[in-house]
Amino acid sequence: MNENRIFRRLGLIIALIWLFFCLFPLWWVLVTAFKPPIAVSEGATYLPFIDFWPTLNAFHEAFSGIRGDFVGPILSSVLVSVVVTVLSVFLGSMAAYALVRFEFRIRLLAGLIFAVIAIGGFMLLTMSFGIRAPYALVVVLVLGLGVAVPMNGLNLPGPVMGNDDVTFWFVSQRMFPPIVSAFALFLLYSEANKVGVRLLDSFPGLVIAYTAFGLPFAVWLMRDFFSTLPVEVEEAAQVDDIGRMRIFFQIVLPMSKPGLVATSMIVLSFIWNEFLFALLLTSSKWQTLPILLAGQNSSRGDEWWAISVATLVSIAPMIVVAAILGRMMRSGLLAGSIK
Amino acid sequence: MTTATPRRDSIKHVFLWPAFLVVLVVSLFPLIYALSVSFQTMRLVPPSPPRFVGLDNYAAVLASGRFWGSIWTTAVIVFVSVALQYVIGLVLALALHHNVKGASLYRVTFLLPMFLAPVCVALIARMIFHPVLGPLNDGLTLLGAANIPFLTSPGLAVGVLISVEVWQWTPFVVLLMLAGLQGLPSEVFEAARVDDIPAWRRFTGITFPMLLPLSVAVIFIRLIEGFKLIDTVFVLTGGGPGTATETLTLFAYSEGFKKFNIGMTSALSFMFLIVVIVFGTLYLAAAQRLTRRFT
Repeated sequence: MNENRIFRRLGLIIALIWLFFCLFPLWWVLVTAFKPPIAVSEGATYLPFIDFWPTLNAFHEAFSGIRGDFVGPILSSVLVSVVVTVLSVFLGSMAAYALVRFEFRIRLLAGLIFAVIAIGGFMLLTMSFGIRAPYALVVVLVLGLGVAVPMNGLNLPGPVMGNDDVTFWFVSQRMFPPIVSAFALFLLYSEANKVGVRLLDSFPGLVIAYTAFGLPFAVWLMRDFFSTLPVEVEEAAQVDDIGRMRIFFQIVLPMSKPGLVATSMIVLSFIWNEFLFALLLTSSKWQTLPILLAGQNSSRGDEWWAISVATLVSIAPMIVVAAILGRMMRSGLLAGSIK
Repeated sequence: MTTATPRRDSIKHVFLWPAFLVVLVVSLFPLIYALSVSFQTMRLVPPSPPRFVGLDNYAAVLASGRFWGSIWTTAVIVFVSVALQYVIGLVLALALHHNVKGASLYRVTFLLPMFLAPVCVALIARMIFHPVLGPLNDGLTLLGAANIPFLTSPGLAVGVLISVEVWQWTPFVVLLMLAGLQGLPSEVFEAARVDDIPAWRRFTGITFPMLLPLSVAVIFIRLIEGFKLIDTVFVLTGGGPGTATETLTLFAYSEGFKKFNIGMTSALSFMFLIVVIVFGTLYLAAAQRLTRRFT
């Protein structure tokens, strides 16, 4: 028992140290936002009213837009993250539901045929025939799916992949280093811009890229959530001859509110904070908040009050997200999703 | 499985295909494009017509000292920071699980860092580690130490990046390990308590082995995510001093957007993919052995 108390005390000390370590940077950015320039340039100051006299100047300066557009990136960040979150949670839930309640059988051979047609066809079209990349992609996509999907229905030899493999395929998209797909997407978007479809530095371009980025999470988390729902309600509805679509929208989705909220929060935080895709795919009009923030560093130098205001704007919504998820964690919701 | 007729079953495609197509078109098709570009010389500035060069780009990447340097830097930052994240995260999760005083207060606070944009975290770190105006050096001067140039000396800059990674991502380990702890069967622990097994032995003999599969997964996720590191470095050091803190992603980015050498960048990002696959496979093989030894 004595030993137990030592561990208990040790745990408390470590937790307190970590609490300080965790909170100090946040405290620092919070107070710095209210500092007048002199409280920054004359060395570190910590306590408002004692070390320095707080001022709202930095906030005025930021939002009045004297020093460059600040509201624009906030708006585009909000717009992009909300639209993407809704889209990817919606599409992801549908896919997750299908993966939980139906059986999919995909023949490895059909998948391989698709890959061969797609990769080989693309190289052939662009290198030998000089067809522009976006057109070539559309051609091989239609051709590849047109051949592979009917073939999947045939009785081909070789292994058959099931629902778990499809889920793994979604999740594995997250294992790629994002620079690979971000850079490739940048190349493709700039090609598309050349043929007249404006995707680089545009709302649709960013939304499409981010939706693909958020979907793996949404599919993965919602699949775990749907698999905990009782199937009896849906079976009863099926007996009453209610269509699958209506079952999904009127019964399953309303039952899944906690899961939808948690998934949305997680996807939202990913999109809101995402840096690399925005860095490559936007330049001026649709610049998001993280890109603006990264630029602050060189454009503002030691103007810490301005940097802190911008940082606080980016942090604030995430504090709400963390609080909501923290409460859900206590109710044990997340415990299920790690299995 | 539900007993739906095949006709009704076909609605499953309506559910799955939209998501499948989006991911296929946006994530995988660009890869094909990048793959074909990686076999060509292609420059945007000055624009030059693409020419097929086979594996030349890959050979150039392998011969480049900066490539190996950035692999080394990334590996050091990732392995050291993930090790620290795991140890600290597990200790904190244990403390929270055993309800140390004020546990409910810590929960949200401990979660918070992982939801902040890495760019923000880097900006805050830049202030804190500032050689003259920052609070850290302020505190050190108070203790009588000289000002330390945290961000301009190569070794220290890597250390700063590691500490930033630990600050931001230890919460992830806490979150998952805590969930894991709460999911362990309580009967085993009650039995151990009845047998009066000391706390430390309870941990090494029961808790840790039972958490091992989860630990392997958590560390794996953190390693994979860690290798993607760019935003923190981009803001905090820009890869400097020199190329001392240049990570793989940052190297690929600057190769593509400062030199506009598209073919080379594509080859580089595929090499990066191979590096991640090699590290990932090695790790999983090692982890499997470890798990087998413990169970």
